[in-house]
Amino acid sequence: MFDFPDINIPIAVFLIVYGAYMLFYVLYALFNVYHLIRYGVYGFGMYLIVTIFAGGTIILVAGSVFLLMEYDWSYPISLDKTVNYYNEDLFPSL
Amino acid sequence: MMNLHQLPNQRPNEHVVSFLRRQWFAILTIVTAFSILTGIPLLGSWYFWDTIQTWLDHPVIGPFLVILGSIYFLSIWLFAFLEFTDYYLDTWIITNERIISIEQNGLFNRTASELDLSSVQDTTAEIRGILQTIFTYGNVFVQTAGEKSRFHFKSIDNPEEVKQLINRLVQEKRAKKMT
Repeated sequence: MFDFPDINIPIAVFLIVYGAYMLFYVLYALFNVYHLIRYGVYGFGMYLIVTIFAGGTIILVAGSVFLLMEYDWSYPISLDKTVNYYNEDLFPSL
Repeated sequence: MMNLHQLPNQRPNEHVVSFLRRQWFAILTIVTAFSILTGIPLLGSWYFWDTIQTWLDHPVIGPFLVILGSIYFLSIWLFAFLEFTDYYLDTWIITNERIISIEQNGLFNRTASELDLSSVQDTTAEIRGILQTIFTYGNVFVQTAGEKSRFHFKSIDNPEEVKQLINRLVQEKRAKKMT
């Protein structure tokens, strides 16, 4: 019978992907804000929109960080046990 | 940053008569798309909360789901902001001397053009379809003499009024030139 090799990777690798995405997000958002300020028409509305966007971003990131802090990031992803993830505990309605 | 009281290459005695953006319906489209893209996953999570809770408690699937969800909602938020920027930076300025058109296509394409009112040959207002008829918005095309391209005011409020305004300003400018 085929056996999966016993490879363990800490779940912290997810954070690398998340960090890369956040870098993309920040760069794109800053570039967008620069566009608004550089080419937009002077007025209160523009500052309001930038503030709302920044506020929404802070709330979303803070909420995510708050949820992510609860996990043990040294927990290994074991390829050997991957098949065990698909069980009745994960899909109680099945 | 552009200041309406100090336009680029402002001429003597030039003042802004009308400042136009696409009608509020464009904003409504962004808000609707944002609400649907945000609401459906949230409603789904609420309906299947028991299963979602089990997944979130899992040491591997839990963090994966939270990161996936975070990326999803941040992307929608960024997408909405990009779309708003596209809306906000598309502007048409009508002064007593010229028409200035500034159009933003995505983040990396921007077209700014202007035409003198004396070179306007004809203007066309266009309202097409049920939505444009109900909410009174549409397009205005300004044809210039000797130019193949037309100025296109996209999805603006009351296109008929804008057309009449441009025609009036063109006549005033021509009358001023004659005297």
